[in-house]
Amino acid sequence: MHRPSAQEFLLKVLGALEDLPPDFARRFAEVLKKADVDRSQAIRQLFEDFAGD
Amino acid sequence: MHAFRGVPAELTVDFGKGESLAVYGDNGTGKSTIADALEWYFTGEIELLSHEGRQHAVRYVGDDDSRVTSVEVFTSGTLGGKVVFPDERDAEAFQAVRRETFLLRGRTLADFINKTKTEKWKALVEILGLDAIENLREDLQRARNELRKESKAAEEQVQSYRRALASAGEAVTHETVLANIQEICRMLGVDSPQSLDQVTDPSWLTAAVGASMAASEPSERESLLSEGRTLNAPALETSTLEGWNALVSSERAQLLPRASLVREAKRLFETRSIGGHCPLCGQAVDEGQLARRIESSLVEMMEGSRELERYRDPIARAANDLIAARDKRLSLHDRARAIALELPPVPSLPRTDLQASVDSLAPVDIKAITGFLSELRKWDRAAAKVAQAAAPSGPSTRDTQLVMLAALCQQVKSWRLAEHKAARALRAVNLADTVFDAYQTNQKEDLAALLKQMSRRVAQIYARLHPDEDLAAVSIEPWTAKGVELAIEFHGSRQRPPHGVLSESHLNSLAIALFLAMAEEFNEQLGFLLLDDVINSFDVEHRGRLAELLADGFSDWQVIVLTHDQQFFEHLSRRAPSWRKLELTSWSHASGPRTTEYETSGILAAARDRLENGDVQGAAAKARRALEELLQEICEALWAPLAFRRGQANDKREIGELFKGVRRTLKERAKAVLESVEPLLKNLEADVGATLNVEVHGSRRRSGSSEVEAALKRIETLDQRWSCRACRTRVWHRGSPEAGRCKCGQTSFPPVPVG
Repeated sequence: MHRPSAQEFLLKVLGALEDLPPDFARRFAEVLKKADVDRSQAIRQLFEDFAGD
Repeated sequence: MHAFRGVPAELTVDFGKGESLAVYGDNGTGKSTIADALEWYFTGEIELLSHEGRQHAVRYVGDDDSRVTSVEVFTSGTLGGKVVFPDERDAEAFQAVRRETFLLRGRTLADFINKTKTEKWKALVEILGLDAIENLREDLQRARNELRKESKAAEEQVQSYRRALASAGEAVTHETVLANIQEICRMLGVDSPQSLDQVTDPSWLTAAVGASMAASEPSERESLLSEGRTLNAPALETSTLEGWNALVSSERAQLLPRASLVREAKRLFETRSIGGHCPLCGQAVDEGQLARRIESSLVEMMEGSRELERYRDPIARAANDLIAARDKRLSLHDRARAIALELPPVPSLPRTDLQASVDSLAPVDIKAITGFLSELRKWDRAAAKVAQAAAPSGPSTRDTQLVMLAALCQQVKSWRLAEHKAARALRAVNLADTVFDAYQTNQKEDLAALLKQMSRRVAQIYARLHPDEDLAAVSIEPWTAKGVELAIEFHGSRQRPPHGVLSESHLNSLAIALFLAMAEEFNEQLGFLLLDDVINSFDVEHRGRLAELLADGFSDWQVIVLTHDQQFFEHLSRRAPSWRKLELTSWSHASGPRTTEYETSGILAAARDRLENGDVQGAAAKARRALEELLQEICEALWAPLAFRRGQANDKREIGELFKGVRRTLKERAKAVLESVEPLLKNLEADVGATLNVEVHGSRRRSGSSEVEAALKRIETLDQRWSCRACRTRVWHRGSPEAGRCKCGQTSFPPVPVG
């Protein structure tokens, strides 16, 4: 049985979502690639960045 | 394995080339050591020894600490290798098989079933490889929760501004706030803003409110009163005036008016002679004496003049200050009157003009001047009192209102900023909710599908173990967000968890079914399964079914079954004839586990190694050991009638007894065979008494390498007489002592006589 990685799984989920901001999935994938960061904080920041002004 | 657990020196377990293996042995014979070795090799630990203070028991506990503990595993793939204690492998070394299922022990059989729902979930997440996905879900959840908190705080801030802006129960909207501000502006005569954007625009605030504030700069009255409160009379040093008066009253000062005459006389003397007569009165004078008197007078006049100048400037400034002070007060008096404020009359200057006294070198009226200053100070105090009484208590109502308008505009600005921040936070929360919900839903759906797939297989396996029971639809079901539970249909009712209705043996069957199903579904690297004493709670019938299931349903797997149950071992022997068998007969601290597996060839190989390396005595010892092993095996297989011995004493029979046993049995059942091997047996007996008698070597003579080589060949010959040339297994591998045959069936018992 193929065990998908967290990134594969996330991209599958994001790929099925409509109306996501452009480039959101790519930026999210970049966050997951970063080492030595507080991932939940980086994700929170990502959501804020895409919330716009 | 070497010096590992209960093995003091070396134990080799031959699993064949992927063949399954049944290992039988009584309690304490070392079966679990085999499981321990594989567990340690593939996971880096032995779960039983993972508790504090037990780790040292990975090593053989003996008196020789110099032994190196190691386990070496040979595999068809890349997972084989050797591990030496202490194990210094890191987590990365186990990455490939971290999620693989291969070991099920009787003592931990029902561990998974007895876990809580959350513990089951965690265990499954680990096995299914969902931990990374679950970790990301948790990070997503943390991020979303933080955003929710921020959004809530931002909304509360907005509400607090709304409450501050609310008036008379009116709902606070942009329109109502703008209307209120416009109304206030109209009341204050300030340009009304057209929108809330304008209200929060600093330039509008500066232009509208700021201009109005500037227009109401301090009024004439406030300015007048302020000036009245800060009046000070000029300071005047009376010592200066006294000094002036003393100087102008002195003789030196009396001479000063004549100074021009004296200067003229001096100029006259310097330009021509006066002829002994005074040019003014004509009297006869001494010109020299007159010149000296003129010079002396002139010096004295000059000194007096310099002293006057020293006083003249301060007094002149004081004269001006007095005049200015009075003028200032006269002005205040007039301005006050203009705004209907009555101040006391301003005192008059002294009658003697100070400046005139200076000009005329006259003494000044000090008393009049100090009196004037005193009157001025009185007037100042009186004016200050009037100012104090007439001053308003604070800024004007209008100013206050303008300030309040400015504060209101600032509050509106803060409110709108808070609204903006709250809206942004809400958008971030909505985005996080969308992603998190979708992620979690997908995760649940995937897990549900996975569990359904597993449940189906678990149910199939369970049904094979309990085919006639009305227990079906075994399943693993999600339980809330982070839990799973086992469930079963029990005579028409759903039982979740099934503990309440299943017996211990049924629960153990469920655990075995789960173990086998998970290995089938998820193992990618390991192709073997190890079951260590898992049938303790099973009755005979269920043991048979498990043996059948393993033999038939898992024929593609290399299954290793360790059991102390003779019946189960026999079940396996009958239902899985192709499996290898290994029996452990005893264990001793000095020599470790003893097996009935054919070991002679291995010991012979070790003897040859030593001989090739020049260790003749070591080779002889090994050769004798190989012969003992071979004779024991033959006696056991032939059911040789040896004298009864209790327990482990059977393994320690004298080699002579074994020779007798072989001869006696062959004589009764296969005389021809005995006749053919008798010369060989005699030679071997001779070897035992001489070449292979290592105890004798120390006292009499040492064996030569050629003698040991000859003995080794004779042992190998005897070994070959009882082995099938085709499959290399013993000829009594199957069947009875009277009619045995090898594993492949090509060689039968009794062995074919030589020649």
